[in-house]
Amino acid sequence: MQTIIFGVISLASYIILFSNEGLVTDTYTKGGYYAAFPIVTAFWFSFIHGAFGSNLLTVLGLEAKKSKSK
Amino acid sequence: MKGDGFQMRRIAAIILVVLMILPLATAAFAGGPPPKNFKKGVFVEIDKASGTALFLSSDSTETMVVKLGEEIKAEDLTLNKKVMMTFEEHDGQIVIKTAETMFLDLTLSKFIALIVVGLIGGLLSGFIGSGGAFVLTPAMMSLGVPGAIAVASNMCHKFPKAMVGTYKRFRYGQVDIKLGLVMAISAIAGVQIGIKIQKAIMNAWGNAGSNLYVSFVFVIVLVVVGGFVLRDAFKLATKGGEDSKPTLALKLQKINIPPMMHFKTAGVTMSAWITLPIGLATGMLAATIAVGGFIGVPGMIYIVGATAIVASATELLIAFVMGAWGSVQWAISGLIDIRLTLLILSASLIGVQLGALGTTYVKDHTIKLVMAAVMLIVAVSRGAKIPGYLADVGLRSPLDPTVASVLNSVSFWALVAALGTAGIIITAAMIKGMASAKQEEKVVSPKEI
Repeated sequence: MQTIIFGVISLASYIILFSNEGLVTDTYTKGGYYAAFPIVTAFWFSFIHGAFGSNLLTVLGLEAKKSKSK
Repeated sequence: MKGDGFQMRRIAAIILVVLMILPLATAAFAGGPPPKNFKKGVFVEIDKASGTALFLSSDSTETMVVKLGEEIKAEDLTLNKKVMMTFEEHDGQIVIKTAETMFLDLTLSKFIALIVVGLIGGLLSGFIGSGGAFVLTPAMMSLGVPGAIAVASNMCHKFPKAMVGTYKRFRYGQVDIKLGLVMAISAIAGVQIGIKIQKAIMNAWGNAGSNLYVSFVFVIVLVVVGGFVLRDAFKLATKGGEDSKPTLALKLQKINIPPMMHFKTAGVTMSAWITLPIGLATGMLAATIAVGGFIGVPGMIYIVGATAIVASATELLIAFVMGAWGSVQWAISGLIDIRLTLLILSASLIGVQLGALGTTYVKDHTIKLVMAAVMLIVAVSRGAKIPGYLADVGLRSPLDPTVASVLNSVSFWALVAALGTAGIIITAAMIKGMASAKQEEKVVSPKEI
């Protein structure tokens, strides 16, 4: 379920960004204080898309080896 | 509860340290600082006859007349598309040196290429702590992205990827935060020194000399270090024995000059007089060859004495700190093409987590093997460029065009081969590790019941 929620948010973010390509590339490369745009966006995607990826791998059955007690 | 308080204090202390080092880090980015003499904007009119053009800069509302430099032809300029233009000023007149379209049109094949490279690059950096950048920047440039934009977009993709990777591997108990921060701080200082050396060489021998110097150092360092790591990996693999601490590290750990530093996760106590210079040297080399991880990880393994698993995990933290600051610098210059960054991230954020969880299934020597393989193949890629650079500085006769193009494709395909080889070794090791972990579970569980 979490996978789907994060997946949808992530996909929606991608679609919004890429369908406004012209505006986005222009604003993001203004420089100066506009530097916050690419940085915040990168953080946003790393949380949302990262969480999606993490859940996706779990759903696919790819999990870390359970550590043996030392 | 007591543990929670301690944890909070620790996190607060770490954030404080990071905030304090950030101002120091103004020049801490691999691949050199963003260029200064450039303008962004569009060409609105080109006059072939007089060799001039009307340029509307992004930061002004009035057009200006610019002169076309010797290397620029009117046909090379595109109208009404945002370009990045580098220039020189002669007698108050702006003369264009280069003009490249900033945002390439993304076709489907470019889309797919970026995603595939992102996935394998992510897998690699999740596994060995660095990687991807050395192939992503040239890959983007070969798709037609201007060099500065490729470096910037790549840098902006590096820190979110490293952040997710660090988080994952921290949860597996593999990241030594203190070691990472000590290395990052001293590496940042090292980068400053490295850039100074780089500038001195640039001034003395020009661009061609600097290219030659960088490639030379790159190939030598990668072949020597990569060869050493490979020998070690083979020794461990054939012996099948447990990983023993490198003798050099053991000797250095015995040197007792205060202040001593204790690194808990790495399980190492060492004098600050030894750890700091390692970081410094890492940074200096990183500023020169632009891939700090290839030095940082072996440094942490063979000199500090951390295991390959802890070293590669800790490298991700270093990459995050240095990548984040570098990205801010490039973003202020306004050179990040966020579309490229996000396309690579879409795959690399998954790849990096896959690589990170992969490390829980493999032995130390597998990580060393992947590292060595990547380093040696990448060395070939750069080595193929040296004849061209030698010709540039006039140390040999100019290359035959066919030879030059062969060398160029050798250089490019070696990078692809490095990624491919790493991808195959990692996947195979993971599948093998998972299968044997499943079998172990089967054997163990009946007894437990």
